[in-house]
Amino acid sequence: MTKADPDLVLSVRGVGKEYKLYSSPRARLKALLTGRATYRSHWALRDVSFELQRGECIGVIGDNGAGKSSLLKLLAGTLHPSKGSIERVGRVTAILELGAGFHPDFSGRDNLYFGGSLIGIGHDEMARLEPEIIAFCELGEALDRPVKTYSSGMAVRLAFALVTAVQPDVLIIDEALAVGDQNFQKKCVERITAFRNNGCTILFCSHSPYHIRHLCDRALWLKGGRMEQFGETEGVLAAYDVHTREREAAAQASFHADTPASTGGKSAAVQEPVAGERLPAPAAQSRKADTQGAGACILSVDVADLAEPQGGQPPLLQGQDLVVTITVRGRGSERPHIGFMIEQSKGVGITSLATHEDGAAPVQLDDGTWRSVLRFPDLPLHSGDYVISAFLFDETGLAVYDEWFQFLHFRFIFPKPLPGLVRLPHHWS
Amino acid sequence: MNCALGDELRAAWSARSLVWVLTRREVAARHAGTAAGIVWPYLQPLLMVAAYYLVFDVVFGMRLGEQAPTRAVGAFLIVGALPWMAFCDAVQRGMTSLIDAGGLLHKNPLPPVLFTTRAVLASALIYGPLLLLVALAYMPAHGLRPALLALVPLLGLQLLLCLVLAYVLAILAAALRDVVQLVGFLLSVGIYLSPILFPLSLFPENWRWVLWLNPMTGLVQGYQQVLLQGAWPPLSVWGVSIAWIAGLALALNILVARSRDQLVDWL
Repeated sequence: MTKADPDLVLSVRGVGKEYKLYSSPRARLKALLTGRATYRSHWALRDVSFELQRGECIGVIGDNGAGKSSLLKLLAGTLHPSKGSIERVGRVTAILELGAGFHPDFSGRDNLYFGGSLIGIGHDEMARLEPEIIAFCELGEALDRPVKTYSSGMAVRLAFALVTAVQPDVLIIDEALAVGDQNFQKKCVERITAFRNNGCTILFCSHSPYHIRHLCDRALWLKGGRMEQFGETEGVLAAYDVHTREREAAAQASFHADTPASTGGKSAAVQEPVAGERLPAPAAQSRKADTQGAGACILSVDVADLAEPQGGQPPLLQGQDLVVTITVRGRGSERPHIGFMIEQSKGVGITSLATHEDGAAPVQLDDGTWRSVLRFPDLPLHSGDYVISAFLFDETGLAVYDEWFQFLHFRFIFPKPLPGLVRLPHHWS
Repeated sequence: MNCALGDELRAAWSARSLVWVLTRREVAARHAGTAAGIVWPYLQPLLMVAAYYLVFDVVFGMRLGEQAPTRAVGAFLIVGALPWMAFCDAVQRGMTSLIDAGGLLHKNPLPPVLFTTRAVLASALIYGPLLLLVALAYMPAHGLRPALLALVPLLGLQLLLCLVLAYVLAILAAALRDVVQLVGFLLSVGIYLSPILFPLSLFPENWRWVLWLNPMTGLVQGYQQVLLQGAWPPLSVWGVSIAWIAGLALALNILVARSRDQLVDWL
């Protein structure tokens, strides 16, 4: 690291990672013994270069197999680059898979000290950190029981508390935010945010554009092991969004090309069977089951003036206003935030809104639940099929408590026979 | 190429305090959940030694021929078999050490060599004291002779041999799991290809060279010389053992260089 830039904490130069694929383990042994190479090489990463300054937060996005995990492992140091170099300054902590390395027969406390020594926290330092870790993971008495008696949530809590016990200079997170119960998830987000505010550089890999948008200053899009784009979060996410939609459309096209039904009536065959029915996504259902009603969740989403669905067609919105009433249960006395998204049923997203982004807040009802009524007067859309999603956030807008993703399709008829998608504010002169 | 092994040594040395933590934990893990605790890892070899002594020396009172280093069959067996058990334990655990630590190595940026080292050291922590105990038991037979000092380099060489061999096998086992099965078999027949059950002099002259294919033959002879006869081991004992270690170290150097950037992927 050059002295010229003391704020540079991570510098990646021309890094490539080659996996040598042998036809069988026998070929692997043969290569080891003879030194003769008989492998196919697969480059998971090629020519990746970027630099991170102190306090920056970078989101890494990309399709499955784009090299995200390989990049994170290279940065964490568990893999070695086949080409190029990675320079790191200070303490690098990676939250790759929580709880790996715990010995089931030893107590939580014992595993804590051992796990600490693996990440460079000596016995004395751990003794100093222990009270805080115990307070954070909320294990209490269970800490002296063998780890094999823990629930998976407890082990994950202990692991997270351990790896984040010391503030690192670079924190690498791989999709780890979706762990534990709501309460703990919120604590995780808070801790990571605190690190960030203290000047810790964060490299964050997620499939959730929402988290990346809210946490990260810049985004890195990996595609086929190469850097497709690296820059301002919004721009990169927008480009990635276009890419995913194109890919989905292509996948759908090839799917329908395979089904003979698609040769007949076009739109009827394309229609999904759940269209028009009010079904929360399976993920949302299981999530609610996890919390057994005690935690925060979306209770209902009602769209006013919706006709009865007929013959597999999505219900028609009667009238020109879209009025959505979203009722949620919050967590304790905390004021939650509510998000809403509307997209074309087969196509692009149109807009997403959230109370915390608009400076609004849900209203608390007498029974303790929260409600927001979202009104689009004279819905500025053209005729078509649309799908809506609802989201429930914590009061900071960072943790997603619940989501009903694309749960309701509806049809909207714009009375004037003009083609298009949205009607923009405009004036003629 | 030259420094591949040197890099590994440096990595192990600079993480020595972690190696110590890992080693203690490995020893503890071998008896985790048992009531007798730390006694168990020691008890097993001790009981075997006691069985040899009781069966061959006390109950049957068997005696070896004139040319043997000692007359008592039990004593002869114990002095050869205990180092051999230590060798088998260290090599076997060292060989699977990388495969066992695969999960840890995937998630933590640690040099793989630490895990082989800890497996072998943990083994040494168990068998080292037992070997010294046996030495103590046989000391009265010859008094406190300077030859006893030879035990120190003998034990050192055995530790080194186990480390190098275990790491070689650990890398090979990472590439091909069959190595574990094959070596398990070799270790179980290896005791017959050594002067542990019978003195070297009982082997047919034409076939004695086969014994030197066993890396422990030299060391076992060394222990027998020191403990049973109170004599300084001959040069051949040192020469053969050092040659084995040097040969294995060369092979290890090549294997490490060839596997370094992909070893963790194989686990």
